[in-house]
Amino acid sequence: MIDAVKLHLQGIKSALAVRMAYRADFFISILIMLVVEAFVPLVTYLVYKNGASLPGWNMYEALLVQGVFLLSKGISFPFFFGMVWNTIYRVQEGTFDLLLIKPRSVLQMIIVTGFDSEDLGKLLGGIVLFSVSLAHVPFPSLDLWLKFAVLFFVSLVVMFGFGLILSGLGIVWIGNYRVYEIFTSISNFGMYPANIFSKAVVTFITAVIPVAMLGYIPASQLLGRPAEGTLIAVISSIIFLIVSLLFWKAMFRRYNSAGG
Amino acid sequence: MMNLCKKQFDVFRATVFATYKEWAAYRSHMAVSVLVGPVFFIVQVFIWSAIYSTRDTVTGLTLTQMLTYYGIVNVINYLTYDSSDVDLQWHIRTGGFITFMLRPISYFYYAICQKIGHRLLALWVEFVPVYILFLFVFKINLVPANLFWTLISVFLSFILVFLTNFCIGITGFWLTKTEGLRRAFQVLRDVCAGSLLPLTLFPEFIQKILFYMPFQFIAYVPIRVFMGSYELAGISMSIPKIVALQAVYVVVMFLVYKLLWHFGTKRFTGVGA
Repeated sequence: MIDAVKLHLQGIKSALAVRMAYRADFFISILIMLVVEAFVPLVTYLVYKNGASLPGWNMYEALLVQGVFLLSKGISFPFFFGMVWNTIYRVQEGTFDLLLIKPRSVLQMIIVTGFDSEDLGKLLGGIVLFSVSLAHVPFPSLDLWLKFAVLFFVSLVVMFGFGLILSGLGIVWIGNYRVYEIFTSISNFGMYPANIFSKAVVTFITAVIPVAMLGYIPASQLLGRPAEGTLIAVISSIIFLIVSLLFWKAMFRRYNSAGG
Repeated sequence: MMNLCKKQFDVFRATVFATYKEWAAYRSHMAVSVLVGPVFFIVQVFIWSAIYSTRDTVTGLTLTQMLTYYGIVNVINYLTYDSSDVDLQWHIRTGGFITFMLRPISYFYYAICQKIGHRLLALWVEFVPVYILFLFVFKINLVPANLFWTLISVFLSFILVFLTNFCIGITGFWLTKTEGLRRAFQVLRDVCAGSLLPLTLFPEFIQKILFYMPFQFIAYVPIRVFMGSYELAGISMSIPKIVALQAVYVVVMFLVYKLLWHFGTKRFTGVGA
């Protein structure tokens, strides 16, 4: 375990060193990441400023859902979601083969060498949005914080599951960076309070593909009004991870080293 | 003159065809839009339906108009999408641009022909399926209020997107790596152009600033022309007038491109970075 962490830290160090060759572009990119992610909260802000609202949610509660989502994305994208672009890039270029001969698991190497420093901007944005929203809602008790921590960890598990699925797709769907758009479109459902969706959609985003876990469910817990079906969402998140892992392995077996 | 026209047409046909064939190999990548576009739209339907459940209009738009706005944004984007900035910056950074300087055709002409080839493929892989889905499944009224003016406005938007992106690409002559700048511009453009949300949602003073910026002509204007009425920052204009103004901005952007290109190419060393 310690060895794996050391390896991951080495990967981060190397990625930062490479990125620092273009320092100005690096800092602009971090800033841009932050601005890009601010779009959904901006729409929410504008909607509320125009006197409209999401029924049953004040502006800061709605922003808290988006803040939690962004925080989850801010942790997963730099630290392990880079496995997606890394797989796509390496498979297309033919350098995926190099990872097969390393004395470590291919999945671990894909994650370690896929550290995405620019995405730290997402984390920064998540921290800011989360903090600002939290400052405008009643401060949660320790009990709520603990429950939130558990659910937030589960949200990272779901993110990891998505990473595995997209990375697996990257092995067989050569050079298709648009798989990110598939994730973005589906995960959009997790950025809003579930009560705005129909019953069927709520069931789908909690029990089938648990995207509600990415923002809505942990945020609801923190606000002291646990979402319906939280336990089901936790169970389906674990199942989602297992299925994702199996999917990745199945795709990995189909790797043919042909490039693209 | 005839010979020159024939030569240019041959270049046009060959580049468009080659780009079409090249990208047709990756048509499944493009087809992702058939899933992504409608899924994004479904989320918008839920969000705006919830918002409108307590009121009839938001900034003067009804729920139907709001959803129509998002539907039109989606389909117009498939027609005007452009990546000339990425291509140009890549060629400059790798030094590959030098091969284009040796060719007997202008890079600008080559790039726009590539865009046409690329979008021709998108027409049937992205535009048509999503259009049909929106029209028949989501029941969004995607019939232009005035077909003639809509076609002109979308065509001008097509050129304007290309010109603005191409100008961003030209910055590659000065900056070694411009990924950050490119993304910054894209975000600014998409927000200010109304590609992500109707500009009327912004506070009045920001709307006034946006009115004088060129971005609205990329998406907001074609969408409003499509819908049949134009209004921003309390200023209403007739459709022919706003389309004429859009044409003026295209000319201005063309001059900006010429100027940047003149100074940019002088800096090119062919070494790469």
